[in-house]
This record gives sequence, structure tokens and C-alpha cells, in this order.
Amino acid sequence: MTETLKIARNEQRSALTEAEAKKLLADRGLAVPDSETVDSPKSAVQTAEKIGYPVVAKVASPSVQHKSEWGDGVGVNVGLKNSESVRTAAEDIFDAADQQEIDADVLIEAGVNLEKGLEVIVGGTRDPSFGPTVLVGLGGITVEVLQDTSHRIAPVSTAEAVEMTYELEASPLLDGYRGSPTVDREAVAEAIVTVGEVLDENEEIREIEINPLLAESERAVVLDALVSLED
Amino acid sequence: MTVADLFDPEGIAVVGASDTPGKIGYEAMQNAIQFDGPVYPVNPSSSGTVFNREFISSVTEISGEVDLALCCVPAPVVPDIIRECGEAGIGGAVIFAGGFSEAGPEGQELQERLVETAIEGDVAVLGPNTSGFLVPEEKLYATFATNINTIPPGNIAVIAQSGGLAYAIAFQAENKGVGLSAMVGLGNRANVGFKEAIEYFDSDVKTDAIVLHVEGTDNGRGLLETCERIETPVVAYNVGEQDVGDFAESHTGALTGEYELYEAGFAQYGVPTVRSSTELLDAGTVLASSPQPDGPNVGVVTAQAGPGIAITDRLKAAGANLPSLTEETQDVVEEILPGITFSANPVDTGRPMPEFGDVVAAVARDENIDIVLVYELYEGGLGYPTEALEGLAEEVDKPIVFASSGPDEIVREELAELEALGIPTFTAPERAADATSALVQYAKRNAEPDVTVVGKGVSTDD
Repeated sequence: MTETLKIARNEQRSALTEAEAKKLLADRGLAVPDSETVDSPKSAVQTAEKIGYPVVAKVASPSVQHKSEWGDGVGVNVGLKNSESVRTAAEDIFDAADQQEIDADVLIEAGVNLEKGLEVIVGGTRDPSFGPTVLVGLGGITVEVLQDTSHRIAPVSTAEAVEMTYELEASPLLDGYRGSPTVDREAVAEAIVTVGEVLDENEEIREIEINPLLAESERAVVLDALVSLED
Repeated sequence: MTVADLFDPEGIAVVGASDTPGKIGYEAMQNAIQFDGPVYPVNPSSSGTVFNREFISSVTEISGEVDLALCCVPAPVVPDIIRECGEAGIGGAVIFAGGFSEAGPEGQELQERLVETAIEGDVAVLGPNTSGFLVPEEKLYATFATNINTIPPGNIAVIAQSGGLAYAIAFQAENKGVGLSAMVGLGNRANVGFKEAIEYFDSDVKTDAIVLHVEGTDNGRGLLETCERIETPVVAYNVGEQDVGDFAESHTGALTGEYELYEAGFAQYGVPTVRSSTELLDAGTVLASSPQPDGPNVGVVTAQAGPGIAITDRLKAAGANLPSLTEETQDVVEEILPGITFSANPVDTGRPMPEFGDVVAAVARDENIDIVLVYELYEGGLGYPTEALEGLAEEVDKPIVFASSGPDEIVREELAELEALGIPTFTAPERAADATSALVQYAKRNAEPDVTVVGKGVSTDD
């Protein structure tokens, strides 16, 4: 068991924080944006300066899983281009946390240009009947409305994972469409393979969800990740 | 525990046998006595005889050879009967009664007690909540269903989660004249489940293909691994697509329904899947009676363009390749059919002709082709190219599927001659195309990795 998982277990948490989840995946070689967790508006600004604008500020707390809906929408703030907006965003998060009487930090993360890629969901779940399984689909509302997903029993090989991307109805979009970038299918496949392996190797993990994974032409970046633990 | 006691018994005890027609103890007895071996009616509250056999009070009182018990008793007494079977050295039992795990917590508890008893007594239990099984060749009818002895013996084993669906398939087989090596309804799978049944029929020399009906199990991965491990080709009908739950609530977990996992898993583990009981039987028929295909390349020969197009359309949608024929084959075809409009693939002869069989043979011998699908409308003056096709499937070691339409009494008789040559036949073009698609799936799903991703520029080095 990794150190992060042990800590989360000892604290009897049902999920890793976003930073922990991303670190778990980054340690396995997946690309994540530069980021740092901070505990004050001041260090939020310092971190933003260090990372370089634009940045994203997100609430970081074990008790918050749906960040964008949290605290009347202050939980996730994207496209912050200067110190003033970073400070305000961080203050909003700390204020909302105080109001709700929860412990929260702020995650400052390098902003990513969503236009440069295609948002994909890569997930894995431990099924009671099949054990570790993985899925890939197009991210956001596409997956909710069209259920355009491809599944496998994990672990899978890279070739199988690439094959999964071809099984999507939306597969042609990964080859670029009306000027949008061609997607690196192997990078998406690496994310699928990694999710399958992590799930296969760590029985205490129930579910992993990378949503979105921004699939670009040369890489795929984990923009958000959730790792849920077994009860 | 050995399931051979169940599926290949020396003698049978019918527990709860009855001399009252209509009772399951009567129907089961009537079926059982067709078996070529001793059959004992067991019922402590009956005396005298039934079907000229004397009632015995308990399985422990049977003095002769018996290793299969058909339990026609109500659920609450089942565990006791199984315990007695264990004591009597009866290694296989079929339990028809419902009221077990499918019937709430109390039934669940009863089933747990049954399983414990079965394990203690080393009894392989089929069911509970099953209509039983058949081995037509042995006239072994371990069921209370009636009119089942018309189901012909053959080389396909039907293993269905639902006994009802098992019969739906078995009677379709009977109607079509397709033979079964066995038909098994698993029911609640006390301690004989997919794994045990599949492994048994894999080792059964009379079984050349296994067809599965699956609704869901608590060990999906185990089922897949069993299918992958065995030699006999398997095809599966996975039911439950619409049960997807409240998918919009969350993502990964809710999107991963059991249906999706079975579909994905069967593909991963080399098992074609179909979408109806009819397709299941058709796919089983071609897998059981044909050489196994080496690849997904189908050569289509048609005497009428319309059905040929319908077939091609369906094949392509199912992922079949229709490669060009070699120049050599095209030369042969053009010599037979000078000025032919389309001699690539499909080959359309325009109408049946005396050399139709030679065209089929030329396509079958083509090295670009792994599977041949032929369609021709029956034409009285010509009949079918039975002679030309004799020995062809064996010679080329490829599946040849033949479809034709015509008056029932003619095609029934004449197509049977083709079937006898190892050429499965169908009377609707789409059914033949769907059965062929199952062969294509089988070839693709069992291919070396680099075959399935051809044309996608994908590296497979892992």
C-alpha cells in the first residue's frame, strides 16, 4: 500500500484528495499539471507566481468531492491571470470552508488550454463479479447522455487500451475534426493501462476516475482525478 | 464432487416419484424411465409400483447402481434429501423446486443450508429452481418437462442460466432439425455453475460447440477464464442490456454495468456474443459443424444480387473483411462467367447455373478467404451444387455457410444433403450472415493481437 493510501485509510476517509489522487497517478508516469497545495491566500499568490499564470484554484479537502458545486460555486476557479484574482479566489474558498466549519486547503494548479485537446473520461472500478475493470469515454455530457464508452476487464495491455479508443462511437473525433487537434491515442491508452494496474494492485481502492483527462496531440494530462476507497 | 455423476449416471433415483399424472414426480419418472439403466422411484408415503417399478422409501434403501437423484420434492425438505443422497453415495442431484435464493432471505438461508449439505455429502447439485437437463443421445431426460424426447441428438451443448430459455433454444433446435449433445438449465447454481458445466462438456467428445445463455453471475471473471481455458468453441447470449441503472448520477461506477462488462469480457476472452436465442443456436451450429476459421476474411458468392447485398451489408456492420480475390481466382471465375459484372467479392453470378459449385469452390480455395458464404435461390432445373461441394469444406479447411430460399419441402430435403457435407445451411440471407458474423467474431477474438488491429497503425509490442 502506498503511503498516501495508508494515511487516508488511517483517517478513515472514503476518498483521496485530488492532490493525493493526482500524485498517485503522476508517480505511475501520467502527466498532471504543476500544482501545490497551500494554506493561505498569501502562499496561494506566491505559488501562482512560481507556477506562472494562468492558474486554477480549487478547494482541497477530504470532505469535498464535488468541488465545482461546493460553496455556491467558489470551489473551482479557472483562468486566474493575476495575483489579485488568485488572492480573491483563495479567500473565497477559505471563507466558505470556515462557514461550513471544515478543514480545507487550496490547490493552485497550472492552467491548461482546453482548446488544445479533447476531454476524455478514463475510469476503473472494482466490480463484485469481475474484479478490476476499466473504461474510457468522451468526457463531460457526452458520456452522460450517449453512454459512449468502451470497457475491459483489467489489467489491460497498451494495445488493448488503444483498441478501446477505436471502439468509441466518437473515435473519429480523436483523429481531429474541423481544426481540432489529433489526439495521442497511446497517451490515452497509458492512462487506461495505469488505472487498471493501480486498481489491480491496490485492493483498498474501489474506484478511480480521471475526468477529464485532456487528450492532446503529444500527451494526455490528468486535469481531475478521484480515487475512492473501499468501505 | 464430480459432475460426471450428474451428466453421465449409471442409474437414476426419482425422489418424490408419483403415480399421479401431471405431478412433477410423475412427469420426471416418465422421462427418467427412457434412460437405458436402472431407474428407482423413491417416495416414503407411496407403496406399490409406478411404471412397473416398485416404490422405495429412501435413497439410502436402494441396493442397485445409482448416482443421479431427480428431486421432485418441495423446497423445505430438499436439504434432508441431499444429505441422504450423500449418505447413499449418490454424487449428482437435480433440484426442480423453487423457493431458494430467488425467493428472499428465507430462501437464501435454505439455499445456503443446501450448499453446505451438498459439499459435506460430496453431491453435485444442479439447480435448485431449474427444469433440469437432457442428454438426447443417452435418452437421459433429467427433467419434468414433457415432450422433450423429440429433441435430436447432436454436437451442440446448450448451457443456460434459465431453464426456460434452455428449452426455448432446445425446441428451436428441434424445429430446425439441429441436434444437441446436451441441454442444461443451471437455475440457482447451488454448486454446479457455468464453470463446472462448461468444463464437463468441454471434455465431452460428443460436444463440438458450447452455447451459453447468461443473465449474470457472482463470478463473471471466473466464467470468462473458464471460457478462455477450454478447447471447445463457445458463443454467448448475454441478456440484460437495458438494466443500466441511474447512469447520470455519477460516472465510472454507474457506467460500468454488468452487461457492458460481459460484452467486453467475452470479447477479451475469445467468445463471440449474439443478441437472440435464434442467433445463439445458429452461431453454435456453424461453430460445431465447421472447421474453425483462421481469420475474418469472408468470400461471398451469390446468385442474386439483392440477397448478396443484404448479406454483405450485415457482414460489414459486424466487422467482417471482404477482401479482393486473388487474380488467379478472378481468372477462374471470369472463365466460368465471361463478361461477369462483378467478380471481386462478392461474386454475383446473376442466377444459379450449372457451374455455380465451381465458382464456390474457386472462392473457397482463394488464399485471401477464411470463410465462405453462399446464397442462391432454389431453382428446380439445377438443384443445389451438392456434388461440387462434396469434401470442399474439409479440403480447404474453412467454414462454408450456405443459404437458400425455396419451398419448405424441397429445401428441407436438399439442404440436409449439404448439411451432411459439413456445410451449415440457412433459409434466410440475414440469418446466414449473422451466423457467419459469429464466425468472424470468433476468428477476430481468438486471433493473435496484431491481426485484430490491422490497418490501425497500432503497435502491439507489450
